[in-house]
Amino acid sequence: MSPAGQLLLPALVLLPLLALLPAAWHGGGLDLIGQFLLAAVQPSTDPALIAASLRGIAITVAVALWSWLFSLLLGVIGGVLSAEVVSRTLWGCGWPALLLRRLLAIPRSLHELLWGLILLQLLGLHPAVAVLAIALPYGALFARVVAEQLDGLPRRNLEALQLAGAPAPAALLMALSPPLWPQLLSYGGYRLECALRSATLLGVFGLGGIGADLRLALQSLQFHEVWTSLWLLAAVMLALELVLARLRQRWLEPNRELLVGFAALLLLLLPASQWLELRWQVLFSPWQWPEVLPLWDPSGWLQDWPQLIGSTLLLTALAALLAVALLPLLLLLLGPGRWPRLLLSACGLLARLLPPPLTALLLLFVLQPGLLPAVLALGLHNAGILGRLGLEGLDALPPQPAQALRLAGGSPRQVLLVAGFNGIGRSYLSFGAYRADVILRESVVVGLVGAGGLGVVLLESLSSFAWGEVLPVLVVYAGLTLVGEQLADLYRRRLLSGPLPREGCQG
Amino acid sequence: MLELRDVTVPGRERPRLCGISLSLKPGERVALVGASGAGKSTLLGVANGLIQPTSGSVQWFGEPRLRRRLRSRIGTLWQDLRLIEGLSVQHNLNTGRLAAWSWWQLLLNLLQPLESRACAEALAQVELDASLLPLPLSALSGGQRQRVALARLLRQNAELLLADEPLAQLDPPLARRLLQLLLGLATPPRGLLMSLHRPDWLEGFDRVVGLRHGELVFDRPPEAVSAADLEQLYS
Repeated sequence: MSPAGQLLLPALVLLPLLALLPAAWHGGGLDLIGQFLLAAVQPSTDPALIAASLRGIAITVAVALWSWLFSLLLGVIGGVLSAEVVSRTLWGCGWPALLLRRLLAIPRSLHELLWGLILLQLLGLHPAVAVLAIALPYGALFARVVAEQLDGLPRRNLEALQLAGAPAPAALLMALSPPLWPQLLSYGGYRLECALRSATLLGVFGLGGIGADLRLALQSLQFHEVWTSLWLLAAVMLALELVLARLRQRWLEPNRELLVGFAALLLLLLPASQWLELRWQVLFSPWQWPEVLPLWDPSGWLQDWPQLIGSTLLLTALAALLAVALLPLLLLLLGPGRWPRLLLSACGLLARLLPPPLTALLLLFVLQPGLLPAVLALGLHNAGILGRLGLEGLDALPPQPAQALRLAGGSPRQVLLVAGFNGIGRSYLSFGAYRADVILRESVVVGLVGAGGLGVVLLESLSSFAWGEVLPVLVVYAGLTLVGEQLADLYRRRLLSGPLPREGCQG
Repeated sequence: MLELRDVTVPGRERPRLCGISLSLKPGERVALVGASGAGKSTLLGVANGLIQPTSGSVQWFGEPRLRRRLRSRIGTLWQDLRLIEGLSVQHNLNTGRLAAWSWWQLLLNLLQPLESRACAEALAQVELDASLLPLPLSALSGGQRQRVALARLLRQNAELLLADEPLAQLDPPLARRLLQLLLGLATPPRGLLMSLHRPDWLEGFDRVVGLRHGELVFDRPPEAVSAADLEQLYS
């Protein structure tokens, strides 16, 4: 089947979703949805609210920056140490690297929200906890990418330097760091965008910043206030995307300017964190461990595992298919012109900006709690992320094949379908597979709308301090996400015959 | 089928085309010759509607506006081929049917390529085997790709065939064979307008149009083109 065919097939997911709609629809808050949408053009301009929103955004940005910096540090150290080429060069064997890689799979397997919820039980509600919660899985994920990139680099230069008598660490640094750098820079930049989204999400669950403001405003139906925060957040996100795109072009190799940039960022962040009251000291205060070691409680293992795993997989599959299907479908319906694309870009920005739990809360105005609002919330959020990649991919395609088809009589939609969708098909689907893996981890964040599955049990047991249930579900959930990660990798490699997409991000 | 009258296309330093008049009738085979920058590609661009002249007029099949229905009757063999990477040979051939097919056929074709027999026939006309149909484009050699691009024109059922130096990157024996194929295809109702980088391959054309610095220098049968004429173009 052609890539365009594979791109359009996921649209069939709309059939089961439409079938679920009549039973889930209550429509009671349709006027509230209308008010919410109208408020987009009338955000509150109250100076006190704007000041509070700006402070919330500053906290979220600080959390994102710190967690990103820590994850880079963890990722580079962990990645270098878990690269087989490094292990073999330094110690003459590969097993220490493989062992470390297996260990790093544990922090990677849990979504940052789960880390956040676990850590807040142990440390309390502080933005600093959010930093740790994001840095742990992000660092482990970054380490995996670094290790994969290092192991995928050609080794001729390394061998040549070693044969010329260079010490192993120096040979590694000289031979492997230059080709690794551009990939690290590109991937690292994307991780910062992801960190901003994750910091917002953790705020929704009480860990401070703009996410908390958004949730409060939404729950009290202050839609004008919601939009004030959302527009400010959109401006920050757009500015960040712009700055990162510029820096990626400018800093193609390590230089003094980059070091100065990092130093300036740290100098700015340290007093800013003090002013924003991030409270690092909580990370060093005594952790409140549960009194009984929960794995010893056998009743925690007595769960209806097939039902829980089945619900989680169903939610993941439906949301992933919806996320993949939306951009191609909407582009075909609206047409590939400039204005429809601009509209889709704006909708995509809002969809990826609004954390899925808040989208789910909005959907509850018209839908019963259950699978459908959860699928829609996760699907729309990820469609926003995938949509950006898809539109960028379409823009980057060589124009000649499309031009040839247009001159041969193809309509704009036909040309989009044949030249456009076939051109981006493989990379888009590959990233879609990656997002499916992320959605599996994210399924926990929509637990609050009663989607069922492991996420609900985890959230309930965490909030009721039922540690006897938490650990078994965590173990099964982590196992499931690791299997999902392997399957997504397998599909992507078959599709692309290449490594992780550079845009891959968990947030 | 193609009528250009006093066509001018401006350029940065001098006009890319300056007052060109040219016509092509069904069954005619016309070669465009001239040095690099003479205006051959620009003229072909005007002929397929890619470039709008600032003055003069163009008529395709007697109509001054190039609507979609007309576009499907004009087929271009591009120098860079413009095939779609990542698609199979058969899918690429079927892109020639884009203007003729309904949406339903188009979507079905994306799932499972249609009209295998017609595709095999198109491949046979360009001396390629039908076993290539399911292969990805990346599995083909340069010469095979060139012929797939030609077979796509056949699938399009185009009448006005335009070719922009399609032989430039081929070795001489292969280029000769492709040239013979193209000349053989240009029987009524088809006509061929083709730019050539080698002035020694004019045999088989009905007319030769010489261009220099965007101006038409001569338009005559190949047997009437002298070495001095060519010298004038390439000097």
